[in-house]
Amino acid sequence: MHNWWRVGATVTADETSLPDGFEALERFVATWAIADLAERDAMRGSSTPDQRKAFYSVASGLLEPALDYLDGKPLTALSDPEQRLMNLMLSLAHVALAQEVQHEDEAHHAHFRSFLPFTPKA
Amino acid sequence: MNEPKPVFEPQSNEELAWLGTDPIPASAYHDPAYYELEREAVFKRSWLPIGHVCELAEPGSFIRRDIEVVKASLLIARGKEGEVRAFHNVCPHRGTRLVPEVSGTQATFSCRYHAWTFGLDGGLISAPDFERFYVKKEQCGLKPVAVEVFAGLIFIHFGSPEQSVRDWLGDLAEPFEQLPIAKATQFVEYSYEIGANWKLTFDNFQENYHLRVVHPRTGGPGCAEPNPFAYPERYNFWGPHRSQTIWNNPNLPAPQGVQAIGNGRIVDAAGRAGLFGAELGMDFTCLFPNFTVFGPPARQFTQTVWPLGPNRSRGIVRFYWVGEEENASERFAREYVMASQRDIHCEDRDVIEAGQAGLASGAIDHINFQGQEVLCRHLFEAVDAMVAAWRSNNGG
Repeated sequence: MHNWWRVGATVTADETSLPDGFEALERFVATWAIADLAERDAMRGSSTPDQRKAFYSVASGLLEPALDYLDGKPLTALSDPEQRLMNLMLSLAHVALAQEVQHEDEAHHAHFRSFLPFTPKA
Repeated sequence: MNEPKPVFEPQSNEELAWLGTDPIPASAYHDPAYYELEREAVFKRSWLPIGHVCELAEPGSFIRRDIEVVKASLLIARGKEGEVRAFHNVCPHRGTRLVPEVSGTQATFSCRYHAWTFGLDGGLISAPDFERFYVKKEQCGLKPVAVEVFAGLIFIHFGSPEQSVRDWLGDLAEPFEQLPIAKATQFVEYSYEIGANWKLTFDNFQENYHLRVVHPRTGGPGCAEPNPFAYPERYNFWGPHRSQTIWNNPNLPAPQGVQAIGNGRIVDAAGRAGLFGAELGMDFTCLFPNFTVFGPPARQFTQTVWPLGPNRSRGIVRFYWVGEEENASERFAREYVMASQRDIHCEDRDVIEAGQAGLASGAIDHINFQGQEVLCRHLFEAVDAMVAAWRSNNGG
């Protein structure tokens, strides 16, 4: 249900907006701007190869600019668009492991990971 | 122009032979009778790390821990004056499990059966119509369990400990206290159940021989000349405890892409926090019987392996962090470290279970450890010594 093209009609621009300069990532917000580590990890596991490839190809080049931008503010003072950008980059941490390390083994590896889930926040 | 090629020599078999070289009886890894002996001889008679003080942030904070191997449930609570106490999570009236919650903060604990109510010190505060009992309230407190806090970790002991945790660690105590876990304020955890004896599960993390076979993508790059098996620089022993000191291979290819940013920024953050420099900072340290801590501050994690039966165990892995993330870079880097470490770890579960299936079939009588599996041998020897002592003290 995180697929942006399915729920896109109900997501307003307000809910997907990102700080200036990061507009190219707005189409990934509905799928990948996830607030919880365990859910980000689960999304890596349930996403399709095309979803991961599309997100990684845009987001990996924006990682350093995004972190440099966000580092200018205390984490407790991020606006909603900034928090979405942070959450996108946290999802990138997971997706990058699929794209940079696992490659064609990712589907098999997802099976291994499913037995060692992160404990959700209480 | 030409840099001298790095050389590496692992510790020789001769240096490690003091622990013996004989095959190890395979039955110790699947026989229900041996498991029963371990329960009595090891797990009821050793200090066991069951949590961290950061889980007990304030007076009234409590955690519940179920320790299946001794069929116990524990209630560990911080008292009004800040002291940490542990009790059996059992109402002394009729034996009811007292606290169902895994954790929380409260000033008293009430039994849901007859409403006996206990304070943070374990004392019985009130019980309805208590005048009709034949005992005094002072006789009706929660049953205490020995507990100590050392290096931030909460240790419990189900028997009567002959030594403090510090004395039990011996010369390991001082370097162990320098590890960042002693200062940790939070953690992220993952856990898993596995169809394998606790020692087999634990042994997987005590030898590097399997790395290049089982982890070709996640660990493979670390297995490079002149140390293709990524054997450690040396092995260290302190009584029943042990460690391996990881060798830094200067030949490793530089990480690229997101990996380079994740790894780079966590090193920056650990440096800012002053977490480098611990004596065990390059060690994978194992406390007897079932606890490990990987020392490098940029990717420190602990694992506790709990027996669930002769052929079953549970691993609990925790990434302990000192303080809140300072900025977005550190938050990203912590996430990357945790996800990448779990990515390596999850690749082991399948082969460990395959090992247990083979051992439990009884097809082989002995396990042959090579020199570089010496830590596995050391664990078995330490367990077996306690089992033998318990047997001889109990007419076995």
